[in-house]
Amino acid sequence: MALFADQLVNGCALGALYALFAIGFGLVFATLGILNAAHGTYASAAAIAAYFAVDALGVPFPLALLLGVAAAAVLALAVDQVAFQPLRAQGGGMLGALITSIAAWIVLDNLADDATGHQSLSFPLSSYPSGMIHLGAIAFARMQGWTILAMAAVTVAMHLLIRRSRFGAAMRAVGWNEAAAALSGVNPRAVVSATALLAGATSGLAGVLGAVLTQNVSYTLGEGLMLKGFAAVVVGGYDDVRGAAVAGVALGIIEVMTAQYLSSSLRDGITYALLLGFLLLRPRGLFGSAAFTRA
Amino acid sequence: MTALLAVEQLGKSFGGLRAVADLSLEVPRGCVAGLMGPNGAGKTTVINLLSGLLRPDHGHIRLDGVPIEALPAHEIAARGIARTYQNVRLFAGLTALEQVIAGCFLQRGASLLASLLGLPAARAAQRRVRARAMELLAQVGMAARAEQLAETLSYGEQRRIEIARALGAEPRLLLLDEPTAGMNAAESEAIGRLVHRLRDSGVTVLMVEHNVRLITAFCDRVSVMNFGRALVHGTPAACMAHPGVQEAYFGRRDDAARIQALR
Amino acid sequence: MANTLADLWEAYRSTLGFAIVNALFGLSTYAVLSVGILSFATVTYAAAGGFIGTQLALQLHWPTLLVLPAAAVAGAALAWLAALILLRLDSHWMALASLALVLLTRVVAINATGLTGGVSGLSVPLFVPFVVMPALLLIAVLLFWRLGASWYGIAARAVREDAVVAATIGIPARRIRMLAFVISGATGGAGGMALALMLHFLSPDTYFINVAFTMIAAVVLGGSYHWAGAIIGALVFTVLPVLAQAVLPAFEQVLNGVALLLIMIFLPRGLIDPRQWRLRRVRAR
Ligand SMILES: Nc1ncnc2c1ncn2[C@@H]1O[C@H](COP(=O)(O)OP(=O)(O)OP(=O)(O)O)[C@@H](O)[C@H]1O
Ligand SMILES: [Mg+2]
Repeated sequence: MALFADQLVNGCALGALYALFAIGFGLVFATLGILNAAHGTYASAAAIAAYFAVDALGVPFPLALLLGVAAAAVLALAVDQVAFQPLRAQGGGMLGALITSIAAWIVLDNLADDATGHQSLSFPLSSYPSGMIHLGAIAFARMQGWTILAMAAVTVAMHLLIRRSRFGAAMRAVGWNEAAAALSGVNPRAVVSATALLAGATSGLAGVLGAVLTQNVSYTLGEGLMLKGFAAVVVGGYDDVRGAAVAGVALGIIEVMTAQYLSSSLRDGITYALLLGFLLLRPRGLFGSAAFTRA
Repeated sequence: MTALLAVEQLGKSFGGLRAVADLSLEVPRGCVAGLMGPNGAGKTTVINLLSGLLRPDHGHIRLDGVPIEALPAHEIAARGIARTYQNVRLFAGLTALEQVIAGCFLQRGASLLASLLGLPAARAAQRRVRARAMELLAQVGMAARAEQLAETLSYGEQRRIEIARALGAEPRLLLLDEPTAGMNAAESEAIGRLVHRLRDSGVTVLMVEHNVRLITAFCDRVSVMNFGRALVHGTPAACMAHPGVQEAYFGRRDDAARIQALR
Repeated sequence: MANTLADLWEAYRSTLGFAIVNALFGLSTYAVLSVGILSFATVTYAAAGGFIGTQLALQLHWPTLLVLPAAAVAGAALAWLAALILLRLDSHWMALASLALVLLTRVVAINATGLTGGVSGLSVPLFVPFVVMPALLLIAVLLFWRLGASWYGIAARAVREDAVVAATIGIPARRIRMLAFVISGATGGAGGMALALMLHFLSPDTYFINVAFTMIAAVVLGGSYHWAGAIIGALVFTVLPVLAQAVLPAFEQVLNGVALLLIMIFLPRGLIDPRQWRLRRVRAR
């Protein structure tokens, strides 16, 4: 029983990473219509930036975390400016942006691989809050707790931001129809930039926390998050923060439980089978609205 | 003899809005029928229902006595209903001729395998389709533009190509949604004459039109709609004189205030 | 002299072979793109063709030349199944779902050890004369050329530009798209087997997401409005890394990415753009 509870926490922490990743990925997809293949590279970049801040500059971990998140946000904005903005100006569709995001992904992944010297680094044990927390019979690492808390906070904040604030309304307006949004007084450029920053920051947060939890600072960190976070986007629905969060956590738990109680070789299989099942039965995600048709 | 098109108690709502409400309508074979009504009356929705782009909530649509309301759009086209669009919808990147060849899809006359192998029968069919498309372009006066990209042509020219594309399906019933919108008087006249020629060659036409002069000159009968319902059916002159029609278009005096408030 | 030529041929023959395989993948991607569908599932068909074809040769001792069409059939069958799922979704979801299929493909490749050799991979001790590769491409080109010239070509174009309007002139959009999937599957399946014959070794990573991304990029770069675009794009994408390696070996991949970015920004409709030709032809009058 204690094992089960421990694994539940492990699953939640892992799922929280997927959720954080999925929130940003879905945000960009819903608002900007971009299937961003480079979204995972922001996570790797944040982890690498935070690692060097800790390792080379001796910055305390919370500050390094913030630095990493900020670096990812700035990187996302830069990618948006370099790779997506020129296409937006030409009115190119989703295909063009997908290609340029692939280009950005290739470039950034390779730069990340160079930055870590073609190996996987890890944060020194003493550099982050590494103790265990005991809650009754359950024991889990302090960082796992922080990760779950961070995910919950980000989910609530993002949901409120998108559904309740004026800025969120502007974001949805741009996602719906950029020209119409501009006519009604929304500044699309500002909304686009803010969306990119937010997406980069959430991916970066997933990156730094994930680097600590999985002891992996390298470009593979972002790639791993991408493959699973993507499943959370589809299962949760890309236009709903709550859906992405719930789906991410659920996938994390399922993955850990499958590895524990069934077979570790099935852990990815179950995730993707679930993904396919959802595509068949609920193609618009957990909280998705019914399809509407346009004649 | 049954009418070519018979619409019975047709209804379609969008959320709470009843765009078409219990509409009944008949179009006899070999006539040019007009469909009038103020903006938002539901005319385009009727065309969309007839061509299978929308499913009715209730009611029947019969073509030559056969119910077609449950068929998919491409089946309805195969049964003989073709249409144009209120906002011209030509295929981007295709020449005028290619648009019409696409319209001749139902006349392709060869299996895919035969076409792939370039069998003589398939090649002959392809030549036939091309010749037919050229003929249709000539019929709408666009033969000289055959090789031009459709999007580089003027609005009026694009409308004509759209008509030629619809004719490619060899329809029994042709639905035109505001075919003269944005045209001057001379161009509109030309469309009217084209419609008459089509009728004389055996195509029944139902056209949405706002221009009263055109309706009077070229339509054999008219139906007027308002708020999704049929107000009146009859000859153009009778319909124009009908008090309900006058009111629908110009409003009663005491309605003016209400309309202001609605805006 | 003859010797140097022979050396040159030896050195670049495999590059040419990979270019041909990539061209087949590009054509497979183009097949669905030409009816307005962005799908990454070419990788899945390639995996089916590669693994099934190889097993037919190894287990059932089919002659290698017979294995190529068999791989095409396997790919086509799988694509037909995929289409049943994917065609129910609308465009954004369809793209995501096809990406999901690619991820699943790898999981299957890892776990279906009987078919794929699992993580340790599958060696492919099959050899064909090199001319089989260009012959394969030639067959594919003939197919796409004839398709483009037949009524299918114009119907596909109509469905791509406006599926609703296409339906109202009698074009069964769903059937056309089904057909596009099957063509994509056959081309992808054959390409997958061709890749197996080039590599002589298959692993779960042979058919994975990077292949999908490269293929889409190649098609868009070459131009997605003509089948020749897929071939030109694949050629560029095969030669570019070789060039980059020669110029700046340390930054080979980065250079690839930058080149892709620049091409996309400055040539958004691709290298082969029939629309430009037509506009020019009209202006020239
Ligand atoms: N797909 C749709 N979804 C929701 N409402 C719609 C839809 N199509 C039409 N409507 C509404 O139905 C009503 C009738 O529209 P319709 O386009 O049929 O009018 P119309 O008679 O063609 O007008 P117009 O002369 O302006 O073309 C309008 O109030 C319109 O806003
Ligand atoms: Mg209308």
